[in-house]
Amino acid sequence: MSTTRHHINRQRLRQARAARPQAVEARPGTRGAAVRTAVKAPPSSHRDEENGPARSRRPWGLAALCALTVLLGAFAGWAHAQAEALRAEPARTNTALTDVARTSEIKGQVAEAVDRLFSYDHADPAAFDRAAKDLLTGKAVAQHRELFAAVRERADARKAVITTAVTETAVERIDGDRARVLVYADQSSVATAGGKAAAQQDDGVYAAAMLAVDTVHRDGRWLITSLDTFDRT
Amino acid sequence: MERPARRRVPRRLRTPYAPALALALVAGGFAAWAGQDWYGAAHDDRAAYAAQRDRALAAGEQAVQNLNTLDHRDLDRGLDLWEASTTGELHEQLTSGRDGFADQVKEARTVSTARVLSGAVTELDDRAGRARVLVALRVTVRAADGTRTDKDSRMLGELTRTDGRWKLSALGQAPVGGAPAG
Repeated sequence: MSTTRHHINRQRLRQARAARPQAVEARPGTRGAAVRTAVKAPPSSHRDEENGPARSRRPWGLAALCALTVLLGAFAGWAHAQAEALRAEPARTNTALTDVARTSEIKGQVAEAVDRLFSYDHADPAAFDRAAKDLLTGKAVAQHRELFAAVRERADARKAVITTAVTETAVERIDGDRARVLVYADQSSVATAGGKAAAQQDDGVYAAAMLAVDTVHRDGRWLITSLDTFDRT
Repeated sequence: MERPARRRVPRRLRTPYAPALALALVAGGFAAWAGQDWYGAAHDDRAAYAAQRDRALAAGEQAVQNLNTLDHRDLDRGLDLWEASTTGELHEQLTSGRDGFADQVKEARTVSTARVLSGAVTELDDRAGRARVLVALRVTVRAADGTRTDKDSRMLGELTRTDGRWKLSALGQAPVGGAPAG
C-alpha cells in the first residue's frame, strides 16, 4: 500500500514538474533536456522548435534543387556537344550546292578564269600575263607557267591562237572561303604561220582537258591557288 | 516596422535556397537553349540536302568506276555489278546487250580497271531523286599481250534514286568540241 501511495506521489510530483515544460516542448522523449533549455533560454528553445523540422526538410529540398541543376547543366552540355558534332560533320561544312548563290558564283568565276588562263594569242601575250597575274595566287602561279611554257613557245613560233572553252564545271566542295572545282574544257588552236601543213594539222582540232582547281575567296573574288591536271605520276 | 519584416524573410531564406534556385533556373535556361539548338541542328534541311549530295556523289563515283571495270576472267561478277549499279534505261541497255558484250570481252581478253580522279555533283533534285555528276576517270586497259594503256575520261553521269539508293541511269563522256565523242 505504502509503496503504491509513494509511487503515486512520485508520479504526481513528476507530472507537476514536467507540466510547464511539456506545454512548450511537445516531444516527451527529450523532456529532461527540454526543461533545462526552456528554463535557461526560452528564445533558443523557440528557435530550436522552428529550426528542428525545417532543418530536416531543407536538405531534401536543397539536394533536389542541386540534383536538378546538375542534371539540367549536364543535359545542356550534352545537347550542345551533340549540336556541335552535327554541325562539324563533313557533309555540312561542305556547302557546295547547299549554298546555291556561292556555288554558282564560284562556277562562273572559275570557268571564266580557266578560259582566260589557258587561252593565248601570240599577238597579245600581255593579256595572257595579265590573266595569270589577276587570277592566280600561291603555287598556282608556278604551276600555270610550267604547264603553259612549251605551249606558249610553240604558239609564238607558229603565230597561233589557242582558245580554251570550259564546257562543264562542278563544285566538289566549299569550305568557307575555300573551294575545289572540277573543270572540263576544250582547247583548240589556229596557226596563222608555218604553212598550210601546220594549219591543217591544228585547225579544228579540239583537245579534251580536265582539271581540278583549288580556289580561295579574297577581296570579293575567287583566286586560283592550285591547278591539278591529274598527272600520271 | 521594416526591420522585423526584413529580418523574417532572410531567416526563412537565409539558407542557400535562393542561390540554388537561381542556379537551377540558369541551368534550365541553358538546357532549353542547348536542346533547341540540338533539335535545330538535327532537323536542318540543308544538312539533309548535303547528305543526299554526298550519297549521290559516292554512289555515282562507285557506279562509274564499276562500269569501267571488267575482267575477262570474271565476266559474270563484273557484269552483275554493272547491272546492280544502274537503273532505268541504262540498266535495260546493259541487260539486253550483256551476252554480246561478254562475247566481245572474252575474245579480246582484256582487263579494265578504273580509278576515279575526281568527282562532283552539278545538279541535285532532292525531292525527285535525280542528280547529275561529273566524274574524272582514268581507265587502264591491259590487253591479252600484256600491254597497258591509260586513258582519261571525262564522264557525265545521271543518277536516279530508287528505293532510297542512288544508281546510274545514264552515262556518257563529255563531248569534245561540241561533237559527242562516245
